[in-house]
Amino acid sequence: MLIQNALVDALNDTEWAFPLAECVHIGGFAVAVGSIALVDFRLLNLGLRHESTSRILRYTELWTIFALIFVIFSGFMLYISQTGVYRINPIFPIKMYILLAALVYNFTIHRKVAVMKDPPPALSKVVAGVSLLLWVAIVFGGIFTGFLE
Amino acid sequence: MSIAQSLESVQFLSDFSESVLAYPIVLSTHLTCIALFGGMILMTNLRLLGLTFKSVTITQMVTSLRPWKRLGGTVMVCTGLLLATCEATKYAPNPFFWTKMAVLGLILLHGAVFRPIVYNRTEELDKSPVIPASVKVAAYLSLFLWIAMFTMGRLIAYWD
Repeated sequence: MLIQNALVDALNDTEWAFPLAECVHIGGFAVAVGSIALVDFRLLNLGLRHESTSRILRYTELWTIFALIFVIFSGFMLYISQTGVYRINPIFPIKMYILLAALVYNFTIHRKVAVMKDPPPALSKVVAGVSLLLWVAIVFGGIFTGFLE
Repeated sequence: MSIAQSLESVQFLSDFSESVLAYPIVLSTHLTCIALFGGMILMTNLRLLGLTFKSVTITQMVTSLRPWKRLGGTVMVCTGLLLATCEATKYAPNPFFWTKMAVLGLILLHGAVFRPIVYNRTEELDKSPVIPASVKVAAYLSLFLWIAMFTMGRLIAYWD
């Protein structure tokens, strides 16, 4: 509790802390979503066709996880600095539910299909499409949280 | 009337900035491009640095993602243009906006300088046993410029 208060004070009292957290949040989601999108583009046969999806997943996975840690941590900082604002926001909870769905989906179904040797093309495409939709929806959710109060 | 004022008075742009839905949708699209295509730029740079994607050749990495990066860049510029012109009088005196535009200029310069020595010579690079210093410089500069780009973009909102 004490630590949380200290963090909240730091975010609210220093002029640059909030924008810095926002920049970490943006940079983090660019890496997280961008690295997941490479797997999705491969599943959709839209890029990196010379390499298997499972290899691409292996190359990107650590970057995805590290970036997600940064995004979630910076997002949490932004949230606790203005809990009152986020609590009454109509869009924010929707964004959180979609985020939860996207995280679970990414490390279960999405991962399972990405490591499959020869997944049916239709399955690959649906799985990649759903993944892209979920992550893009979260980006939209973030912006709309700020605009519809 | 200044250029900024006359831009803002264009009917289409003033409708756009007053719209409850259109403005956040365009802003979200701008951010989505950063996520999808910014991520691709990052991964390409990491490949140039030899940090990941080691079994994928530099040629494959650069050429297979190029059309998507171009598409993403186009959408990013178009949506950005819309966002800036509809609030031209707010943007015109904003130093973060102009820093961002300067960074954009440097990104174009980066492309002009490194295309002939890195991005159009990927097949030679794939044959070379070590990654030349010029390639690493290109990758680090690109990373730095893109980080500066989105940081300045975010800071635009903080100047008044």
